[in-house]
Amino acid sequence: MAAQGGVLFQEKVSRLVSKQNGKPVLKPNRPLVLKDSVANRKPKKGEASCITEMSLLMACWKQNNFVDGLCSNEIHSFYTCVQKTQATKKNMSEQGDITGGRLSPKQATTLLRRFPNLQSEI
Amino acid sequence: VLLVRWSRYNPYYLEPEVRKEAYSRPESELSPEEKEERELKTLRPIKAAPNALTSSAFDDPVLSKFINMMMKDGNKVLAREIMMQTLENIKKKQVEKYHKAADGTKEEIECNPYAIFHQALENCKPVVGLASIQKGGKYYQVPIPLTDNRRRFFAMKWMITECRENKHRRTHMYEKLSQELLAAFEKEGNVIKKKHELHKMAEANRAYAHYRWW
Repeated sequence: MAAQGGVLFQEKVSRLVSKQNGKPVLKPNRPLVLKDSVANRKPKKGEASCITEMSLLMACWKQNNFVDGLCSNEIHSFYTCVQKTQATKKNMSEQGDITGGRLSPKQATTLLRRFPNLQSEI
Repeated sequence: VLLVRWSRYNPYYLEPEVRKEAYSRPESELSPEEKEERELKTLRPIKAAPNALTSSAFDDPVLSKFINMMMKDGNKVLAREIMMQTLENIKKKQVEKYHKAADGTKEEIECNPYAIFHQALENCKPVVGLASIQKGGKYYQVPIPLTDNRRRFFAMKWMITECRENKHRRTHMYEKLSQELLAAFEKEGNVIKKKHELHKMAEANRAYAHYRWW
């Protein structure tokens, strides 16, 4: 069991908690037990995509009083821009999970849930 | 006894492929991924096809979605009946217009009700939508690009709500729907007005476009 390998660790913890060597360093109000999940990473706030296309489209609308038939070029370019950004985002999210050598928080949590930390004897 | 497909399946089950063209393609035309998919389909169980899904030439996914959205309390028979009456009504009106038109303009009148329905929906779809984004304690209406499904949903929703609410109590739903669809085909009518109002709101709030982060 892992506890036998961590005997030194247990001794260190008991030294930190005891009052023998002056004030105790740790005063845990909960048992020192690891959770079966990892904290989520904050996703990086990107920038708004396709703003130039949108502004062109809005300008065209303003000129032509919102008639869609006259702005078909701008609309088409806007749609192509949107599709491109969606495709790149899909590729990025697919590749980003595998590279880096580390697990993403979701993958780490699923793995830990499959092999949970046993807190009492079953 | 009506045969109805369940709604909850094991994720192991695959979706049924109903279109005939997908099966008539020879082995050589398929890419390796499609070959893998075909092999998977021989091994895995497949969900039962829903009642409304057919392999006939008249099966239209957009029309089926519209009928489902019109349906109330699961009365698919009534919703389908209304839709068929609408299409018939559109055809009648267009044929009447065709016969009354002068010889030169006869070819320009569209008589196919399905084509009119699709074109009307296309004309009703908004290009950009608004999203409520919180920044600095306040909520701003930010113009965002919409996915195709979302745009189709808006077009159908506006059409149905407009036909349900803004009609005289004695006009039938199919009558009002056919009027709205024909108006949308000509790019007039209340639904097109609603789309233009959304575009105007988006244009007015274009300064907040940078509040988006995706």
